[in-house]
Amino acid sequence: MPAVEVSNLSKSFGGVQALRGVSLSLGESEVLGLIGPNGSGKSTLLNVIAGVQKPTSGTVKLGGRAISGMRPDAIVKLGVAKTYQIPKPFASMSVRENVAVAALYGRRLRSVGPALEEADRTLAIVGMGDRSDLAAGSLTAQEKKRLELAKAIATGAKVLLLDEVFAGLSSEELRDSIALFRKMHEELRFSALVVEHVMRAVLNVSEGVVVLEEGRVIAAGSPDQIVHDERVVQAYLGSKGVGT
Amino acid sequence: MKGRTPFTLYGLLAVMAALAAVASFSGVATTVLLVNLLVFAALAYSINFITGMTGYVSFGHVVFMAIGSYSLAVLVSTYSTSPFEGIALGALLGGLFALGIGAVTLRFRGVYFAIASLVLALAGYNLVLQFPQFGPGGELIFYIPFQPLTVFFAIWGIVVAEIVLTFFVNRGKVGLGIRAIKDEEDAAAAAGVNPMKLKLYVYMLSGLFAGAAGAVFAWSTFGVNASSAFDLTFSLQMLAMILIGGMGTSTGPLLGASIVYLLYYELLTYPRLQGGQFLVVGAAVIVIALFVPDGIVGIIRRKYPSLKPVIE
Amino acid sequence: MVASYFLSDPSVLLSDLVFGLLLGCVLAVVAHGLNMIWGVVKVVNIAHGEFIMLGAYGAYFLNLYWGIGPLASAVFDAAIGFLVGYAFYYVFLHRELRGKETVSLQSEMVTLVATFGLSLVISTLALIIFSGNVVGIDYDPGTLLLGPVSVPLGGLYVAVVSILIISGTYLFLERTFIGAAIRAYSQDVTATELIGANPAKVASLATALGFAITMAGGALLTVFISVGINPLMGTLYAPISFVIVVMGGPGKMWGSLAGGLTLGIVFDVLQAVATPQIAFATGFLLLIPVLILRPEGILK
Ligand SMILES: Nc1ncnc2c1ncn2[C@@H]1O[C@H](COP(=O)(O)OP(=O)(O)OP(=O)(O)O)[C@@H](O)[C@H]1O
Ligand SMILES: [Mg+2]
Repeated sequence: MPAVEVSNLSKSFGGVQALRGVSLSLGESEVLGLIGPNGSGKSTLLNVIAGVQKPTSGTVKLGGRAISGMRPDAIVKLGVAKTYQIPKPFASMSVRENVAVAALYGRRLRSVGPALEEADRTLAIVGMGDRSDLAAGSLTAQEKKRLELAKAIATGAKVLLLDEVFAGLSSEELRDSIALFRKMHEELRFSALVVEHVMRAVLNVSEGVVVLEEGRVIAAGSPDQIVHDERVVQAYLGSKGVGT
Repeated sequence: MKGRTPFTLYGLLAVMAALAAVASFSGVATTVLLVNLLVFAALAYSINFITGMTGYVSFGHVVFMAIGSYSLAVLVSTYSTSPFEGIALGALLGGLFALGIGAVTLRFRGVYFAIASLVLALAGYNLVLQFPQFGPGGELIFYIPFQPLTVFFAIWGIVVAEIVLTFFVNRGKVGLGIRAIKDEEDAAAAAGVNPMKLKLYVYMLSGLFAGAAGAVFAWSTFGVNASSAFDLTFSLQMLAMILIGGMGTSTGPLLGASIVYLLYYELLTYPRLQGGQFLVVGAAVIVIALFVPDGIVGIIRRKYPSLKPVIE
Repeated sequence: MVASYFLSDPSVLLSDLVFGLLLGCVLAVVAHGLNMIWGVVKVVNIAHGEFIMLGAYGAYFLNLYWGIGPLASAVFDAAIGFLVGYAFYYVFLHRELRGKETVSLQSEMVTLVATFGLSLVISTLALIIFSGNVVGIDYDPGTLLLGPVSVPLGGLYVAVVSILIISGTYLFLERTFIGAAIRAYSQDVTATELIGANPAKVASLATALGFAITMAGGALLTVFISVGINPLMGTLYAPISFVIVVMGGPGKMWGSLAGGLTLGIVFDVLQAVATPQIAFATGFLLLIPVLILRPEGILK
């Protein structure tokens, strides 16, 4: 059974139709890339799956159970966590406390102590152990993105919805991040839906790719098939060029 | 955050013990002064639960105080019960009303919550005037023996309970979740926090203690009347106290209450300065809000980080 | 009681309704300045009522010493309000807003609390300077009889001026370059820079305009409250303004009128069929369902 099954999902904001009947399925431990031009509905899709926004119609199932329409905190506790494209750290709290919030509530721990320990473990995994006592508001943009990732992992989620966590990295940083991601995936065996503009990242971390355009899935397949798909090249790569 | 010796709590409880000793062994005037001071402190801790901890500005907080005042006044004047039953009813109704009101208004963010709470206070005032049970012009007066020390220990117990709760809420699971809500409510929900549940919880505490404090206030003034029970400057005073002391902390409200109280009623009550206390408090609120929004505790925290365990 | 009211002479009912509409127009303009600031700068001035009060006293003193009528005083008040608005922006808002794209909740709280403090300072000063006595302006141009319905002329003039002010701001925002810059600021602070305007200048101008309208509104209000000018009147008109702006939707110029008329009629009719207390309580509580059902205001 797939971990997440999205069927015929639509979402409109007033007049704007951000999603128009999107269906896809994400297998256990599968990493699926989600690409598409700006404004094609990628973030909206993640938000609706995570319950941050309510779908206009359609369903999301997690392990066979319908979760669409549930509150975001309930969905997190069922094991689905998302990162924000524009990071939203708890600015006045330390990095460690930020991650502890996710561990404490996402994993339904009873007290703060174990949550802090969990936070330390997670921060070590994402390579931010040396940042744990800084105020989250004082981090650099890249560190804030990584903190988003740490929070999502700390919730104990089995399904991660990652919104452009690789954006804005230099070539070496990107290489390190990809390596880190692969290592984490090997260790934690989560499923992930990875929104990305950076093609190199998509091709390197994901087993399959789904392409969105104007709220519709226009192609799906292996990374190799996708880069050679005529429609994709026209709709997406043609307009933006194959990014690094 | 965990397993540390709770110096702050010990310190605050020592101060409270000292106040109890002073009240027990000095004259009536001092006891009355301390009663008034602790009523202020109780109100400050009460608004601290919601506004200090979550950042939701409860402009209409007087509503809960008024609920407590009327609970006690009606019970004592109409049903001749003991004031303690009035306090219990005030606390109960304060908490229940906070749950009911909060279930609706805590869905509104920022200014919308603030204004909704303000509007409820005004509506409450007008409604009280509508019911004869609350006396003509919303005024109820009762005659019971003057027992300053009993009143003192009633409000003393309330403040001690608030201090202990504030301290443990802050350092426990709820406190961490609440701070996340204060910083980024949506992100908190995306991390698994149920914001509504936590906000309702602290709002309920807030209403409960404001109700209890309002009941004691009515007891200490032998009555209640609508225009002072719903006087919005009370809300401002409560805000001023936690703002000056330090929002959300367990030391701030007592510190702020002492300062505002002394300014208001002891230092600035010379006839020549009629109204002067309002000017000073209003101006202090402006300056502190704009320039040092984390209050005295915040200043100490930044200037003397080593004192952190003692003041937080 | 209710039934008997509606069974009474229909001309009484109509006169009441007309009065409610006129009252609604003046409440609209009283709230309009707040709407401007809230809609554009995204900050709520809790001391709004105190500036209405100052506008009312401005009209009172101009009338007392120079015999100037409330309508003419509104112009003086507006000029003063404009300057006060600039000062207000730079003292209270500039530090919190400059260089930011959105107003954070923290800034929102800071400005709410600081302006709450300001309202206490101003009303206390007013109590000291003007004393607690209630005063009024003797201005009554008579009554217009339209068949059985009587329309107070003073109220009619004020209503007309109110509507002129509201439509004037609407046209200003829609048709002028500065207006476009203000609209741009209200939607996206960085967009202001894109059209070549300085965000702080735009925000301060909008605040100044808001204050000018607020104080002028205070002067116009005096026509309706022939004896009701007092240092604490702000505590009534500020919440009324909050309700009106939320009902109309912050930043929607016609929203002030929609909210004002709704509240004017609710107050007026409920005062007639029930009691003033019920009228006020209902008017204030109206805010809650509006916030739940139409958080963007009753206008589309
Ligand atoms: N809260 C919202 N209100 C109104 N419209 C929205 C909202 N969120 C997204 N949209 C619109 O929905 C569409 C899809 O937006 P979305 O953010 O999902 O795109 P995206 O694929 O993530 O784009 P990007 O690559 O720029 O991140 C866009 O047209 C956007 O303007
Ligand atoms: Mg996006």
